[in-house]
Amino acid sequence: MKRSILSGMIFLFAIAAAPPVVNAKGDDFKSVVKVIEQIYGVKHQQLPFLARAGMKTARTMARIAGGQKRRIAEAGSVKVAFFEDHDFTSVKNDGNLRRSLNSMLGTTWSPIIQMFAPRAHDQSYIFLRNAGHKFNVLVVQIETREAWVIQIDVSPSTLAALLQTPDEMGKIISDDAMTNYDQE
Amino acid sequence: MRTTAIKLFIFATLVLLISIGTTAQAQGGRVELSSLDRLTAKASQTVDVSIDERLIQTAAKVLSSKEPDEAKVKEIVNGLKGIYVRSFEFEKEGEYAAADVESIRSQLRGPGWTRVLNVTSKREGALEVYIMTDGSSIGGLAVLAADPTELTVVNLIGPVDLEKLRALEGSFGIPELEIESTKPKKK
Repeated sequence: MKRSILSGMIFLFAIAAAPPVVNAKGDDFKSVVKVIEQIYGVKHQQLPFLARAGMKTARTMARIAGGQKRRIAEAGSVKVAFFEDHDFTSVKNDGNLRRSLNSMLGTTWSPIIQMFAPRAHDQSYIFLRNAGHKFNVLVVQIETREAWVIQIDVSPSTLAALLQTPDEMGKIISDDAMTNYDQE
Repeated sequence: MRTTAIKLFIFATLVLLISIGTTAQAQGGRVELSSLDRLTAKASQTVDVSIDERLIQTAAKVLSSKEPDEAKVKEIVNGLKGIYVRSFEFEKEGEYAAADVESIRSQLRGPGWTRVLNVTSKREGALEVYIMTDGSSIGGLAVLAADPTELTVVNLIGPVDLEKLRALEGSFGIPELEIESTKPKKK
């Protein structure tokens, strides 16, 4: 009886005091990639990536840095899974991916922005979680013929700059990550 | 020992309940937007922005107090507890119903909310701004913008007024609402 009361107390305090920090054990990046593969029946690829991204990156980084070019992602933190030349319109866009992502990531990640254009078959999701002195940002982008998942670490100051234009956040992160990434 | 444990358990429960109550009170200016979820399937584009207090304060910390533009935004966002935007664009008219708008408007007729701006035009639709007050302090603001092919709800939690909203347009996911200065109008 005494033990169960104490367990109850510990449980209550744990709920009340639990900080919204990262669950380091779970690899949500891989889980998200897997969900996309399952829903759309595709496989992500190991591909050398778009040289043109470098041009865009220089431009967007300069804007965020107030004139000085710099990277968004912390060194060595970039994960990218790319899906190229698939027909992402073949599966009815009924919000299945959105629901799956929100349900899978909802406990540890905060959804910052979700853009959903079912008729154009475009979907864009950005999730964020606190990882101590930095933040993890997860970007999921689905377009008609290609899709990608990106996870990067950003510093609080970079995040602050990105938050001022959250609707451009996915594009800026994608441009940056595509030029310097570790493929999963 | 058993009595002490029971007392501690009761104390822990009270602490938890008080903490839940405080959180609920702090979010008094929050408008429930989930009733609009069903429009996602009909809309040609849906944008859903959620920036909570922790993120706002992260952003506020690094804004410069010396740069006039940044200092202004910093001052405004300093007390904010949340920024929530839900926007739907439709290809043709009639894709959303009056009941969808009413699901939001009915909340804004609740205690504490006052409509401070109401502009309606046949061509451009309706723009309504509501402020939630708790005694003498402002607890939140909501904007309901509805035109035939677009429906947008902006909800800011915390001490924010029309002037501050204007200053934030275009930042933090808040769309350009083009709200002009008008005299406040009671509902």
